[in-house]
Amino acid sequence: MEYLALLMFVVVCFVLLMGYPVALSLAGTALLFAAIGSSFGAFDFTFLGALPNRLFGIINNQTLLAVPLFVFMGAMLERSKIAENLLNAMSMLFGKYHGGLGISVILVGMLLAASTGIVGATVVTMGLLALPTMLKRGYDVKFSTGIICATGTLGQIIPPSIALVLLGDVLSSAYQKAQLDMGIFSPETVSVGDLFAGAVVPGLILVLLYMAYCIGLAIFKPSMVPCIEPEDIAEISAGKSKVQVVLGALIPPLLLMFTVLGSILFGFATPTEAAGVGAMGATLLALVQKQLTVAKLKAVMQSTLKITSMVFLILIGASLFSLVFRGFGGEELIKGLFEQMPGGVIGATLIVMLVIFLLGFILDFIEITFVVVPIVAPILLAMGLDPIWLGIMIAINLQTSFLTPPFGFALFYLRGVADKAVKTADIYRGVIPFIAMQVLLMLMLAIWPSLITWLPNFIYG
Amino acid sequence: MLLNWLAKTVNIIDGNTEFTGKIISWFTLIMVLLTFAIVVLRYGFNLGWVAMQESVLYFHGLTFMLGAAYTLKDGGHVRVDIFYQRFSTKGKAVVNLLGAIFLLLPVCIFIFYISFDYVAIAWKIMEKSPEAGGLPLVYLSKSFILLFSISLSLQGIAEIFRNLSILLLNSSHVPPLNTEVK
Repeated sequence: MEYLALLMFVVVCFVLLMGYPVALSLAGTALLFAAIGSSFGAFDFTFLGALPNRLFGIINNQTLLAVPLFVFMGAMLERSKIAENLLNAMSMLFGKYHGGLGISVILVGMLLAASTGIVGATVVTMGLLALPTMLKRGYDVKFSTGIICATGTLGQIIPPSIALVLLGDVLSSAYQKAQLDMGIFSPETVSVGDLFAGAVVPGLILVLLYMAYCIGLAIFKPSMVPCIEPEDIAEISAGKSKVQVVLGALIPPLLLMFTVLGSILFGFATPTEAAGVGAMGATLLALVQKQLTVAKLKAVMQSTLKITSMVFLILIGASLFSLVFRGFGGEELIKGLFEQMPGGVIGATLIVMLVIFLLGFILDFIEITFVVVPIVAPILLAMGLDPIWLGIMIAINLQTSFLTPPFGFALFYLRGVADKAVKTADIYRGVIPFIAMQVLLMLMLAIWPSLITWLPNFIYG
Repeated sequence: MLLNWLAKTVNIIDGNTEFTGKIISWFTLIMVLLTFAIVVLRYGFNLGWVAMQESVLYFHGLTFMLGAAYTLKDGGHVRVDIFYQRFSTKGKAVVNLLGAIFLLLPVCIFIFYISFDYVAIAWKIMEKSPEAGGLPLVYLSKSFILLFSISLSLQGIAEIFRNLSILLLNSSHVPPLNTEVK
């Protein structure tokens, strides 16, 4: 009867490919299997009696409250031209160097990714904002598309990423469960703040790798990353002095990001509180820069409502799915598989990472976090993995998956907004160096796990 | 005749969902303002009320539980669209029709059925927050589960009718279909 659990997984993948909304496909297929299973006694419906309490747990979850607030903040920054002004300011400062525009795109993309935390939003915004400029200034097509996809997916790991908020919530219960299974009755905890802290060093390494690549091109193949002509810089600056631009367009959003992130990392505020302050700050910023109209506010609120509902419906669907999966004995099955795996914890981790990478082709991080992580994480953690390390590795792994042709989401998004003259093959080829850098980072993190765990240990002891 | 009736029903439900969605979208702003106020009061004035913190959760819960239907109407729920995006309008309608009948409706009805007693008990004892100084309205927030099932089922029925009329219509004149790229 455990094999029904696996069959359910296979069927759900098939149903998902038909294209009906993921949350309802998960829940509906699981319900169908529960009904079939119970008709010949392989499934006990009392398992689902826990569902109402789980749903109420979702409504009452203080950690997940950070999600709509961060989404609000990101949507506000995205719609109020703050990113656009930021990019202009940066190209004014760095544009006269070879590769300067590329560096600006990396930095702006990083900030935007960190604030919106949603791959699609960042790639689309940067694709509309930066790609035409880069191409107009004579940047290589492959490099331009590659760098936009890569910085767009940074939102996975640069805190305050929504992916890490969701992962933190799931991992904290997985960690509790793993320790209880091991007979530890005063379990240690892992928090969203821990994950944010753990993501700082790997995120910075990744950004530095991207920048190093850009600088390398500037040195060895300067024609791929030309500098901006002085008259074009004058056009961008529109008569403003450097000081004005730095004070007006550069400092405020940077200050906002550092306030939000710093208050979480140094323990002044919970992620939820920081998200509230960030959302308020972004609104005030838009107001000060005279970008806030009633129409824009309404658009921000509606996009917040839709993205939040989308995330939480998946959570609802996934909780029904995982209850049924457990009811069929699926968890024992996976556990048994892992225990027979050659190579112990390393083998099991590799397999999990591979599966998550492949699932990343069809599912977004939300579904993977809510469906796959609760099943595999308690087992891996009970085998002795560090929860922060596991969380960050999952996030970077998914980020790589979103970049990988031919199915990576970031590529689809960019294809959607890029000019028809940009060839799909160029987009595919352009991301390859960045995928290589991601893989390099994952290898580094696997060899030196303290790159992840050092900062959280240092801050939180 | 049938098509007219379908269109009329779809319009009524859509209008209703649209109206609810517009109203609850303001809750997101209220949540931002409340959270900001909580932070200022706590860190600036050392003041804090459990009831105020809990009220944010109520707005939050209501937002996404009722927002699910609005998001469905606007095609905002993510799909795996590797194949879906290549389907014709009618092909998409078939997916959405079957999905609403066999996935959405059973799930909503089941959640309503299995949560009914759970919510009813909360009402019977007028359940209060377990926290001292918390809101005595837990029965209300538990009722969001039922509101969720009802509103999403209603919108699901609208989707069934909408997609049915797409399939029944032979002309190219079709009502706008949900087009959301994942």
